[in-house]
Amino acid sequence: MKKILSVIIFFIVLAALYGSVLAGQHVKLDDNPEVLRKAQEVQEGAPFFPIKLYQDYISSADGNRCPMHPTCSQYCIEAFKKHGTLLGWIMCSDRLMRCGRDENKLSDPIWIDGKKRTYDPVSNNDFWRQ
Amino acid sequence: MQIRNTCLVYRFFTFVIICSFFISFSQSFADSGSQGASYPSLILNPDKQFDYAQELFSAKDYLTAINEYKRFIYFFPKDKRVELAMFQIGQSYFLGRQFDEAVKSFKKLTDRDFETEYSIKSYFKISEIYIALKAFDLALINLNNLIMITKDENIRDEAYYRIGWIYIETASWDNARHYFEKISPGNRNKFRLERLADELDKETLIPQKDPKLAGFLSIIPGGGYLYCERYQDALIAFLLNGGLILAAYESFDKGHGALGGLITFVGFGFYAGNIYGAVTSAHKFNRKETGQFIYNLKKNARINLSADLENKGVCLSFRFTF
Repeated sequence: MKKILSVIIFFIVLAALYGSVLAGQHVKLDDNPEVLRKAQEVQEGAPFFPIKLYQDYISSADGNRCPMHPTCSQYCIEAFKKHGTLLGWIMCSDRLMRCGRDENKLSDPIWIDGKKRTYDPVSNNDFWRQ
Repeated sequence: MQIRNTCLVYRFFTFVIICSFFISFSQSFADSGSQGASYPSLILNPDKQFDYAQELFSAKDYLTAINEYKRFIYFFPKDKRVELAMFQIGQSYFLGRQFDEAVKSFKKLTDRDFETEYSIKSYFKISEIYIALKAFDLALINLNNLIMITKDENIRDEAYYRIGWIYIETASWDNARHYFEKISPGNRNKFRLERLADELDKETLIPQKDPKLAGFLSIIPGGGYLYCERYQDALIAFLLNGGLILAAYESFDKGHGALGGLITFVGFGFYAGNIYGAVTSAHKFNRKETGQFIYNLKKNARINLSADLENKGVCLSFRFTF
């Protein structure tokens, strides 16, 4: 039992610390915009490596079948960027549970590339916190 | 010698005649040329200039219309339509969806002179723009400023009415009632306040879900979604979380600590997501129901006050749904 608790606490602390770092910190590296842009890409891209991997290699082969807009993977990236890792992860999990069911009836439709999708951006799920 | 002199005189006279002929011919030619090259001169008068600007405005060529209204103001600053032209500039920016410029243009009118017809209308237009931009605080400040400076009871009542509707937009029912009550008795019928009050009292009947209760019920995965009438989401949340909790328990029970930790980490996200989603669903439900109520209220009990111009001078339009 102690083992389970320690693992859970470890992950919660890790997620909370990492989340606050990701959400709030901006490191100034250089004044050169090109260097800054590349550094920012690396800085921002690293935490989303698994999601980017999914988008580039799995989703592209599997097909873009997510009935929501933005897609779940894009939604997760936006949630992580906006709210940090902890809440981002929670919102991401929530979205995966809601994807393509009751939300289709409740949220507004949007047409993307000739396909009807359900419009459910991050702002539609965090408005009550602002 | 005499013959030679006579010849010279003869030649001189011939030269003079030829020259005079050429001079007269060239003058007549030059005259005819200048007449051919002349263009009809453009005389700019206030009516033509203003009509042209109005024409562009009617044709929805707003950016060009703005320039022509500005030209009108520049060349005819004493004309009685200068204020109207200034107002139309604001309107053009507004209809061209350049809201910041529209506000600046209308503010030029309100700063120039208060309590003229167009400055009052500008106050109302500024508040309409702020409402369109969802900047309700600024709209309220603007209308309150108008209330402070105006001595006209009708204008003050209209401002109260508009403020009341801004509070309705933000679902602040009591504040809305407070401002509607400030409208003078003489104008209560004009704004159909009795009917509006009846409709507004129905706000207590708006179906609401308690977000805290939704969160609390989510202790059992899916309970919160169920409370928010999201039955499919509730089922998925229950099965997914139940499965993950069971898997984590089995993993730890069988001594697979690392696997159990990983499943717990994933399961934590979905369990917390189930609570977060239920709370959000309750808020979404309330937002939707309140929005529907406001929509119906507008449809049934709102008088649309418009400060727009329709190329026929200023008009105040009323629209009421019976």
